[in-house]
Amino acid sequence: MANHNTAAFEEKPMWAGGRSPFNVSYGKLMMWIFLLSDAFTFSSLLVGYGAIRFSFSTAAVKWPDPAAIFNHFPFMHGYFLPLLFVSLMTFILIFSSVTMVLAVEAGHRNSKKEVSKYMFYTVLGGLAFLGCQAWEWSQFIGDGGRLDSNFFGITEQGYRHLSTVSFGDHFHWNEGDRTWGPVPFASLFFIVTGFHGFHVFSGVVINVIIWINTIRGTYEKRGHYEMVEKTGLYWHFVDLVWVFVFTFYYLI
Amino acid sequence: MGNFHHTPGEYDPITYVPHTESHGTKELWRTFWILLGITILDFILYFTMPPGLFRNVVFIFFGVVKAYYIVGAFMHMKNEKVNLAMCILVPTVFIIGLVAGLLYEGNALSTY
Repeated sequence: MANHNTAAFEEKPMWAGGRSPFNVSYGKLMMWIFLLSDAFTFSSLLVGYGAIRFSFSTAAVKWPDPAAIFNHFPFMHGYFLPLLFVSLMTFILIFSSVTMVLAVEAGHRNSKKEVSKYMFYTVLGGLAFLGCQAWEWSQFIGDGGRLDSNFFGITEQGYRHLSTVSFGDHFHWNEGDRTWGPVPFASLFFIVTGFHGFHVFSGVVINVIIWINTIRGTYEKRGHYEMVEKTGLYWHFVDLVWVFVFTFYYLI
Repeated sequence: MGNFHHTPGEYDPITYVPHTESHGTKELWRTFWILLGITILDFILYFTMPPGLFRNVVFIFFGVVKAYYIVGAFMHMKNEKVNLAMCILVPTVFIIGLVAGLLYEGNALSTY
């Protein structure tokens, strides 16, 4: 079905039928409602993480500083580079969001060639992000992170040391100040980033399907590229969730 | 859509797709630079600001700003009808209630 001329429906009364009150297609409205429910799922995980972290605020073994633990960078073995790799992952996901929205924009101009080009870039960005996450997980597991144990606790003494040192030797604590820490730190890392990573994975699968459909001319025949917009909404949502995972899991 | 008997000009809730137009790529690239800038600022502030409540508030504020730009510009929420935007955005106040409640509970648990 080709694009409808909206103006003809717009003249009718808002809620009397015969027009779309929100001026939006059925599929896009359902995508928005799904994303709202998914936002609740992710916020439950993140808020649960916050509650558990708060419950350790007076514990003897402190909640570790996440950025100090995720301090590795590919090909920079032996260097202490906190936060750098996650920032790169954030950049990759934001950039793939841009290529996605450029595909949506090209879809508005019915440019099959440009839509397929930008969908390809978006798939590449998603795969790059997944690769980064796999690398990050393998580093964390290699350092001793497990779903049911965590070797990243800081003793009271080490915690006091961390909160007084200034930039430069900010993250270095004595090996003696390191101990078995709160188990939820490691398990929630795997659950939260794993659940987000699974969303990225399904996003990549959906993007590949849309990319193939674009190349095969499915949307050209249909007369509009609304499917690109709908998957775009999902892909931007995954990016949005990562913004909050990045804020709450790495920065704070 | 051969299953639906459809006469041109008649509204069909299942197949209806509003006419869309390109708004250009200028705003999208501007949004990208804003998001990149805030992320770099996050990175810099992590090393320059002392850890504590104030820094956390700044990070959360930056997160909300990034969310505003992603939802508003990338997801085209700015171009949607206000009614639709409200239907999606207003229910998220429940999340704020959940945050307040569970952080309070977490704090209470820490005293056990």
